[in-house]
Amino acid sequence: MVPKLVRALLVLLTGCLLAVSTASAQTLKIGVAGPLTGDQAAFGDQLKNGATLAVEEWNEKGGVTLGGKKVKVEILWGDDRRDPREGVSIAHKFVNSGVVGVVGHFNSSVSIPASTVYSEGGVIQITPASTNPQLTEQGFKTVFRVCGRDDQQGEVASNFIKTKLNAGRVAILHDKTTYGQGLADETRRFLGKLGIKPAFYSGVVQGDKDFKPVLTAAKQANPEVVYFGGIHPEAILLVKQMRELGMNATFVSGDGVFIDEFIKIAGKSAEGSYISFTPDQTKIPEAQSIIRKHRERYRQEVGAYTIYSYVAANLILNSIQETNSNKGAAIAAHLRSKAWNTALGKIQFNPKGDVLESPYVFWQVKGGKFVQVD
Amino acid sequence: MFTQQLVNGIVVGAVYALIALGYTLVYGILQLINFAHGEIYMLGAYLGIAVLAVLGTMGLTQTSLALSILLVFLIPMIYCAAYGVTLERVAYRPLRDAPRLSPLISAIGMSIFLQNYVQVAQGAREKAFPNLLQLGSFQVMGAYVSGLQVFILLTALGMMAGLHLFIQKTRLGKAMRATAQDRTMAALVGVDVNRVIAVTFAIGSVLAAVAGVMVGMYYGIVNHYIGFVAGIKAFTAAVLGGIGNVTGALLGGFLLALLESFWAGYVSAIYKDVFAFLVLVVVLIFRPEGILGGSGTERG
Repeated sequence: MVPKLVRALLVLLTGCLLAVSTASAQTLKIGVAGPLTGDQAAFGDQLKNGATLAVEEWNEKGGVTLGGKKVKVEILWGDDRRDPREGVSIAHKFVNSGVVGVVGHFNSSVSIPASTVYSEGGVIQITPASTNPQLTEQGFKTVFRVCGRDDQQGEVASNFIKTKLNAGRVAILHDKTTYGQGLADETRRFLGKLGIKPAFYSGVVQGDKDFKPVLTAAKQANPEVVYFGGIHPEAILLVKQMRELGMNATFVSGDGVFIDEFIKIAGKSAEGSYISFTPDQTKIPEAQSIIRKHRERYRQEVGAYTIYSYVAANLILNSIQETNSNKGAAIAAHLRSKAWNTALGKIQFNPKGDVLESPYVFWQVKGGKFVQVD
Repeated sequence: MFTQQLVNGIVVGAVYALIALGYTLVYGILQLINFAHGEIYMLGAYLGIAVLAVLGTMGLTQTSLALSILLVFLIPMIYCAAYGVTLERVAYRPLRDAPRLSPLISAIGMSIFLQNYVQVAQGAREKAFPNLLQLGSFQVMGAYVSGLQVFILLTALGMMAGLHLFIQKTRLGKAMRATAQDRTMAALVGVDVNRVIAVTFAIGSVLAAVAGVMVGMYYGIVNHYIGFVAGIKAFTAAVLGGIGNVTGALLGGFLLALLESFWAGYVSAIYKDVFAFLVLVVVLIFRPEGILGGSGTERG
């Protein structure tokens, strides 16, 4: 006779199996992961809103057609708090709960370690924002990005500093993260090709509040431009403290700083800064409907990565429906096979999973707003 | 560059010292490391923003700057004192005779609780701290000094002097010193130990609230994580100077900030924190009691 305890356990186990199988039959799960809380939560909100709008549109139409019937889409949220360790544990959680595709993560330092987990689990990962080249250089079939790469961004930045700003003395700072240091180093490399050696180069600690010591040291090099690879919380403090120390060098940074918070909190100090980002998304004809929906739903304008997140979610769901499969390999192959019409215009992936075209342009903070520089 | 780094370090040091005092006062009396103290500082900054918002809508910031500044400090001070006393009553007093690990765990728990409470109540985003004091800046020997920095330093020094007088000259201060020396004996000769401990928490929290409001003004940006880093740094400063020793906390605060500032300016900004903790380790190897030696609020 089977002992009581074992029988009880068996019943429990079957119960679990039933619960899992019924759940997966009812919905199609995708994951959305990024810094939903913490100092970068403003970016996390953009990922959240974009993906929510995409999934709601699908569910209004009844869901994704899979195996001849409509299946509703369900989002699982992952808050990585920009911490790589959190990111990896979220990735495991997603893989174990049968997620088919993931929109995320936001930070390159999180996306890269998480991508290994997704690749092993056969889960599609499309990041709306991680620009570090290494992400798609690992040879994973399941990894994609709808944004650009930092080697592209760094090249544009160095050309801009040399030709438009006519600067020869450049101080380069970064936040030691995969994204920040990666971008700063790409810019340094391309500046080197143009014959400009950085007059000052240093990292700062992410989450720190006082950058005056390092800025005081940078000031000794008398830079005309301070280039920062990093995200807005540090950029705000850097630009404010530069002005407090009497530095009037032009502040130049990348897509991690393209957010209203930078202007709102840094105020006057941010005026005249240059930030590289893609050309004005709100002018893209295909994006108009999502921009309108976002305004109605959230009572605010889309952020830098809202539409990227919306597009990433749509690409995953479209590819699932068109391949009629929830197998990662098939969906990934299909994603690479053609040019997609998206809210950002035509998108085509190369074999690595990068988008073929991703032009970066510069924006200037002018009168308390980002204005695209011609 | 030297003078500028000196200025940078002294201002940060004043803030470290104010927070470190809270650690050291509590440790002197209870031999407890109040890990939730950093969160009190964070609450001070948030309360400052809240008060400013209310004053702003009332229009008081336009009409009476002096009064608004007073309120921006006073209200968070009162609130934080209440938080500190409640913290002690709820989380530490029931564990006063428990093994020393229990109140420590309780302190860490309170720290996590307060951090998450603020995150839920105020949202996870960075908050801007409106700049109330447009004091301009001036140059001393090539170093840029802002009026706000002078204000921070003077306020901090004023608070420290006030604390010193309180401990040395008042009856309650005397009771605090007695309790620090020997809690049981103090109780036997009629000192209300519970009251003294509550007052100690209130004083530490008031100092932290002032530090929180000043840091909010200085950096213009506040989030619910700031208490953690500031708490660790101030705790380090307290240990560096000799935990339990009031003068030690001041010395530790300024020393730590100056070392950080000069190291980051002259050697490497990346290894700023590494260096700060390296100094701590080295000091503790040679002087386990800290620079000025061990506990004793009585030594003032």
